[in-house]
Amino acid sequence: MLKIEAMSKVFYPNTVNEKRAIEYIDLTVKEGDFVTVVGSNGSGKSTLFNLIAGTYPVTGGKITLNAKDVTNTPEHKRAFTIGRIFQDPTIGTAAKMSLEDNLITAYRKGMKGLKISLNSEKREFFKKELTQLSMGLEERLKDNVGLLSGGQRQALTLLMTVLSRPQMLLLDEHTAALDPRNAQIVMDLTTKFIERYHLTTLMVTHNMQHAIDFGNRLIMMDEGEIILDFNQEEKRSLTVLKLVEMFKTIKKKDYASDEGLLIL
Amino acid sequence: MLEGIFVDGLIFSIMVVGVLISYRILNFADLTCDGSFATGAAIATMAILKGVSLSGALALATLGGAVAGAITATIHNRLKVPGLLAGILTMTMLYSVNIRILGGRANVPLLRVTTVYTKFPQFFAFVSKSWALLLGTFIIALIVKVVVDLFFRTDLGISIGALGSNEQMIISMGIDPRLLKVIGMALSNGLIALSGGLLAQYQGFADANLGQGMVVQGLAAIMIGEFLFDSNKITLITLRVILGAIIYKALMFFGRYYGYHINLTPSDLKLLTGILVIVSLIIAQTRSAASTADARKKALKKNVERRRQKEAKDAKN
Repeated sequence: MLKIEAMSKVFYPNTVNEKRAIEYIDLTVKEGDFVTVVGSNGSGKSTLFNLIAGTYPVTGGKITLNAKDVTNTPEHKRAFTIGRIFQDPTIGTAAKMSLEDNLITAYRKGMKGLKISLNSEKREFFKKELTQLSMGLEERLKDNVGLLSGGQRQALTLLMTVLSRPQMLLLDEHTAALDPRNAQIVMDLTTKFIERYHLTTLMVTHNMQHAIDFGNRLIMMDEGEIILDFNQEEKRSLTVLKLVEMFKTIKKKDYASDEGLLIL
Repeated sequence: MLEGIFVDGLIFSIMVVGVLISYRILNFADLTCDGSFATGAAIATMAILKGVSLSGALALATLGGAVAGAITATIHNRLKVPGLLAGILTMTMLYSVNIRILGGRANVPLLRVTTVYTKFPQFFAFVSKSWALLLGTFIIALIVKVVVDLFFRTDLGISIGALGSNEQMIISMGIDPRLLKVIGMALSNGLIALSGGLLAQYQGFADANLGQGMVVQGLAAIMIGEFLFDSNKITLITLRVILGAIIYKALMFFGRYYGYHINLTPSDLKLLTGILVIVSLIIAQTRSAASTADARKKALKKNVERRRQKEAKDAKN
């Protein structure tokens, strides 16, 4: 599904601000995999996602998506395969437009034509889809999305993303900005949709328990490299404490503060 | 006299709808408009003088504006400069282009030729001349409004609206935002040029300086419209823009007509327009501040009430 070979990313190369965000990454994700990604702030998780999604070009290496070389493919073209959800609930939806307008934009990927697709049949369909979020949004199709709460917006973003039928999901701490209850709701919906649509998923999280509980593979990043990679078997026997212990051993130094790494 | 204000306002409203598309829908601070308005006037005038049909002349004017808008969007897209700078560049270049179109002159009269405004009285012979002009302009403005309303209900139109609200979302949906910007800006400046083409025929000449200050006037009209009512429906948004345009023109008319009593000259109107925009912004801000303060007052009142109830309860116990 996704193959990353010898990828690296340097920001502001050959200047005093030079920053090697991704040192060297080899990663193969099989179809149907659900990979959780952990690592402290600045370890390169978000950069990894930005490179996979195509937000900025790689410095070196190659990215293959569905056996197609997409290293130089622009972000909006990769978006046909990749659905991405950000930590900030406002990034995935258009605040100044109604729910139904947002949904119709997400209904089909790609350039739109001069057809008026938003009819009563579509509205019924959207209502049915919104019902499964159990947030009462099915009654608010004409409301502007800016009126919704963060949790509602993130749930809507999730629904819009899966409606557009991607094959792969990139979840960038997508529940981190929500309160525990809403985070739980959005996480439950996420796993439901992943199973139903057989989505290959990469999920960044700072919640170690989530990282262990969800998915069939766990990778840990540090200083732009993948330092740990557990498959389903190894993951089963993991605990949060073991994970932290391993991180420390590899780093050969005690972190004075684990705050950047952990929310237990 | 009053019909004149409405004709003026309706022609102007087509331009304001164009400004609405760039400023409010696309969220693109576009200054091309000052140039493309005159481009529309110049193209329509020269086409009519060269014997092109009236509808052909207006179509050419619209097309000319659309090209100007597309150029601004392309400069912004390719060179990654802010829309404001891209617009200023195109606007400045258009000044020279417009004089070229006008055959090296800054002002070309449209005298003793057939224009839409000499046609209207023949066409609507059943009403007086001034009402015929109004009726004709009204129909053109109505057509523009309906077409724009329809466009922004199509999938393409909705995605342009979404782009103005959140560009990342459009990228995530697999759409090239650059293409949408070109389309949106072409539409916006096409309408602006159409308005310029109509105005040239109404006033009987095209001038290279016709577009000066159009952006601010357009913004003033949009803001006046926004005071009228609040809506997220495109049909109501365009309606309030048209009403705002007519009100603006009426204000300016009375400023010119009665202004001399307070020693106001026509050259002061730009200052007044600017002040009008600033006042609109201040009112909009105080309004939102007032609603926040109101909400806070209500919340405090509720708290006091709650405490009282609690105390009463405690006292009972």
